[in-house]
Amino acid sequence: MRRVALIGNPNCGKSTLFNRLTGLNQKTSNLPGTTVDSHEGKVKINNEWFELVDLPGIYSLFTNSEYEHVVVSNLTGKNIPKPDAIIYVLDSSNLRRNLLLLSQVAELKIPAVCVLTMEDTAARRDIKINAAELNKVLGIPVISLNPRISKDLKPIELLFYKFTEGTLISDNPDMHEKLTRFLNGEPNRGISTETLNRYSNIDLIVKRVVIRENKKREGNTLKIDKWVTHPISGFLIFFGIMLAIFQGVFSLAEYPMTLIEHSFSWLRSQTSGFTSNEYIIDFINSGLLSGLEGVIVFLPQIFILFFLIGILEDSGYMVRASFLSDQLMRKLGLNGRSIIPLIGGFACAIPAIMATRTIRNRSERLATMLVVPLMSCSARIPVYILLISLIVPAGVLWGPIPAQTLLMTLAYFAGIIMALILAVFFKMLGKSKEQSEFVLELPTYQAPRIQTVINGAWLRCKSFLNEAGKIIVIISMVLWALSSFGPDKAMKEAYNKAQIAAEKNPDNIEQIKQSYLLEASYAGHLGKMIEPVIEPLGYDWKTGIALISSFAAREVFVGTMSTLFQTGANNENVVGIRKKMQAEINPTTGKPAYGIGYAVSLMLFYAFALQCISTMAVLKKETQTWKWSIILFFLYGSIAYLSAFAAFQFIGNA
Amino acid sequence: MSEQTAKDLRFDCPAEIIKLTEGELNQKLAEMGCVPGTEIEKLYSAPTGDPIAFRIDSYVLGLRSSEAEQIVVKMNDELETSI
Repeated sequence: MRRVALIGNPNCGKSTLFNRLTGLNQKTSNLPGTTVDSHEGKVKINNEWFELVDLPGIYSLFTNSEYEHVVVSNLTGKNIPKPDAIIYVLDSSNLRRNLLLLSQVAELKIPAVCVLTMEDTAARRDIKINAAELNKVLGIPVISLNPRISKDLKPIELLFYKFTEGTLISDNPDMHEKLTRFLNGEPNRGISTETLNRYSNIDLIVKRVVIRENKKREGNTLKIDKWVTHPISGFLIFFGIMLAIFQGVFSLAEYPMTLIEHSFSWLRSQTSGFTSNEYIIDFINSGLLSGLEGVIVFLPQIFILFFLIGILEDSGYMVRASFLSDQLMRKLGLNGRSIIPLIGGFACAIPAIMATRTIRNRSERLATMLVVPLMSCSARIPVYILLISLIVPAGVLWGPIPAQTLLMTLAYFAGIIMALILAVFFKMLGKSKEQSEFVLELPTYQAPRIQTVINGAWLRCKSFLNEAGKIIVIISMVLWALSSFGPDKAMKEAYNKAQIAAEKNPDNIEQIKQSYLLEASYAGHLGKMIEPVIEPLGYDWKTGIALISSFAAREVFVGTMSTLFQTGANNENVVGIRKKMQAEINPTTGKPAYGIGYAVSLMLFYAFALQCISTMAVLKKETQTWKWSIILFFLYGSIAYLSAFAAFQFIGNA
Repeated sequence: MSEQTAKDLRFDCPAEIIKLTEGELNQKLAEMGCVPGTEIEKLYSAPTGDPIAFRIDSYVLGLRSSEAEQIVVKMNDELETSI
């Protein structure tokens, strides 16, 4: 199978073309030793399969970041099969800069073809490219095609039989050796001069090929940008978009989530038809199905959030967001580019930490990675929702704002403010002499391609299922075992106590029995063991068990509480847990066991603590040491403990 | 007369890049098309005035003002007087 690589600048439409050609027939992979994603896919043309590689978009082969290393490794065939052919993707509206990369890659003498994209953008700016002339100059087939709008991909498919070794724009011998030196980290002298020479040759080509170029950037992008970067409208747009994302995730995800919950309730009601063994039914309903539900129920939120982030990225707004925030971010020791990982952190810290790779300055990158876990990720949402519903019922308004929305926003801000404070602190720790830089292209706004965005969001869901999903299901089953079994003696005693209690309250026999047995189980023992430590925060042993289980993934909290309150098997969901929690009375104080102080204290704990093994693993991978994962675990743990302590002592359990 | 840099440009007044001052960013800026002879124009800035967006030939590049200072420019006199 022949291997074909797509090469081009960022924002040139390369990935759109890749998605159009491969559809869902693709996978994401990492080159060993790097953390940059390469997308590989297969495409069938006239009964022949081709292997297509979407290399990261770069401007030049010699810029020193991981992206360029991935491209160069691919092109020189280091640890990876060398491509048999190349498709250059060039942005017609900006041919000059796009040709620099082509001029460098051409010297590797790999057969190639060229696709000119964004003809419409170019046309709007009075730029027209003479493709036939460019074909003559480069010596390779050139076609014009916009993968965003073009319905017919036939012209591209034909190109797969026309790969040609082209003529060189500049002739620099020993390109291969230079790239090998670059990969080995050895200095290449004279690259700057070489770049200038390349540009003077490119300028000659541009004169021949580009027709009636009106360089002054006209049109909507500039008009939009004046609004987007305006001191007042700019920030209104920025916060409006962020608010719309939150609102979208909360309200849009509700319907599919309810559907998933109902489906699982139905499944549970069916299990008794297969066996009469109570333990097996209980295992399937409370262990297995609850675990699966706890994973699947998050897919709508993850999908919607990544869908919205994808739209911002694909349309070009995300880059403006980092342009707007660069100066503020720099003061905090971060970088304008940090805004993308930080916003991504609201979905999940794992992809967000991985997204910090675009920050070239090491200490800025480290600081960004370290504060990302303080952004309230989607896994905290169900915990917040449960706790907020304990404080105020839905529909209550505080002024014009729904009380639940306001509390949710405050929880997010707690994390954000802590992140801002710590960023400055981390930047001071990472003493780096590297120069901080911004240098960021502000691409033309594009109507986002929904198919590409959906594909991206779906890939995120798949990686969540694969990585976090397994942990959650396993932890759910371990928990079921811990809460179903216990030391024989304690279990027998609990059973007897339950019998006596049940005589006084015959309506509630089953529930009373369960709660006594749970208290006597291994899980109950574990929770009680840590109770003295967490009591000053207002938590009881049940919360203790849920806290421990949350270290696998935060959202497990709700599932654990549900198991502990035995709501799972009773056809109930968050509402069910909330009702049971509200009804619970603290035996020593006689007040509600889960009051306002409890909820606020626990929300703060979840906002700050690093309770996610997956995040710690990714952080280790990205920093090449466990040091930061361990430091963060204890640092954020202490901050969480102290603030939860302060909140509970201040508010009390009203 | 001291050298004028891209930072000093007025909005919407195209100029020409003369050279890049020596520095670590030199190579990066050149790769992004900021080479002598290229047309440059200050388009807009972030609300705080930094970073600044420039048109470099036919695309828009965001630069911090400290980065823009490394690009030495020559004002296009003809255009300046005609405005």
